[in-house]
Amino acid sequence: MRVHALLERLEINRESVLVIRGDTLVTGDVQLSDDDQVEIRPVVSGGCA
Amino acid sequence: VKCRRCKAPAVIDVRRHNAGFCRDCFLHHCREQVRKTIEDFEMFAPGDRVLVAVSGGKDSLALWDILRDLGHDVDGLYLGLGIDEYSDESGVYARAYADNTGAKLVEIDLPTDVGFDIPTGSRIARRVPCSACGLSKRHLFNQAAVDGGYDVVATGHNLDDEAAVLFGNVLRWSTEYLGRQLPVLPAGNGFARKVKPLVRLGERETAAYCVLAGLDYQVEECPMAAGNRHLGYKSALNAIEEQSPGSKHAFYFGFLEKASPLFTPEAASEQEQLQQCARCGTPTTGEVCAFCRLVERATR
Repeated sequence: MRVHALLERLEINRESVLVIRGDTLVTGDVQLSDDDQVEIRPVVSGGCA
Repeated sequence: VKCRRCKAPAVIDVRRHNAGFCRDCFLHHCREQVRKTIEDFEMFAPGDRVLVAVSGGKDSLALWDILRDLGHDVDGLYLGLGIDEYSDESGVYARAYADNTGAKLVEIDLPTDVGFDIPTGSRIARRVPCSACGLSKRHLFNQAAVDGGYDVVATGHNLDDEAAVLFGNVLRWSTEYLGRQLPVLPAGNGFARKVKPLVRLGERETAAYCVLAGLDYQVEECPMAAGNRHLGYKSALNAIEEQSPGSKHAFYFGFLEKASPLFTPEAASEQEQLQQCARCGTPTTGEVCAFCRLVERATR
C-alpha cells in the first residue's frame, strides 16, 4: 500500500501530517511493506497568539 | 517523487509548489523561503539584534535555527506559562536547543516572575485560556525586547497560522484586526518591531524542517488549545487545500497584496489614540493596559 492510500483509508488529511518511516520522512507515493512501522505525526498546532 | 533541485529521491512532497525535495534541498528551500520573506518585507538587516519567541514547538525552533543559519544575531526568549507538564516539557526542548548550539536563551516564568499561571489565571480572570495566554505573550515579549535593547521580535507564525487568523477575521469582518494582520509591524510608540519570517512556510514544512534538521521539538499540542476556534479554521482550510493546493498561500498573500491596504487606515487611527498605561507604561487605548488588568484579576 502506498502512503497516500494509507492516509486515505485512515481518513487523514495529508496536509495535516508527516509520515515518518525509521528516522526519515516518506513521500505520498512510497510503497509501504507489511513489515514497515510508520509514525503518522500531526503537524497542526492550535496556538493563535 | 524525485527532488526538484538535484533529482535524488525525495523525502517530502510540497503540493503547493508541485515539488519534491531530498533532505538537503528541502532544508535549503526552507532557508531560502525565510531569506526571501525577510528581504521582501524588509523585516530586518544583518547586524540587527533579533529576539525570537521560542515555545519549544516546531515553528519557533525551526525559525531560531534558520535565522542562525542565515547569519543573523539572534537570541531566544522562552516564556514559562505554568501549564503543568506541558510547560515543563516545552522548556526542556527550548533549553536543549540552546545548550546544543550555544545559542543564548532568555527565560521568563509567568508564575514566578508575574504571579499567575495560565490555567488558574484565566479561570479567575474569566478569560478564555488562549486569550489570556496570547495577551501575556504579546506583552512580555514586547517588554523583554524593549528592555533588552533588541531591534526586533520574531515569532514563528507560519502560513497556516496566518491563513487561519485571516479566515476568522474575514468571517467576522473584524476590520480593526484585518488592518493589523501584517508580517511586519513597525516599531514605535513603545512597541518593538514585530516580524513573522515563516509566513511563506506551511506548518507541515516547519515540522518537516525540524525532523530533517534533527531538531527535537514538542510534538504534543497544548492541552488548553484543544477544540478552539483557530483549530476549526485550520481544519476547514486544510480540507480546501487538499482539493486545491496553493489555496492558503493565495488567500493570505492575495490579502496582503490586494485587500490589506483597505483596512490599514482604521488600524493606524487606533494607534494614534494610544496613551501610556498608568501602571507599566505600555501603550494602550485605556488608562490601564489589558495585561495589567489581567495581572490584577489573576493574582488577587
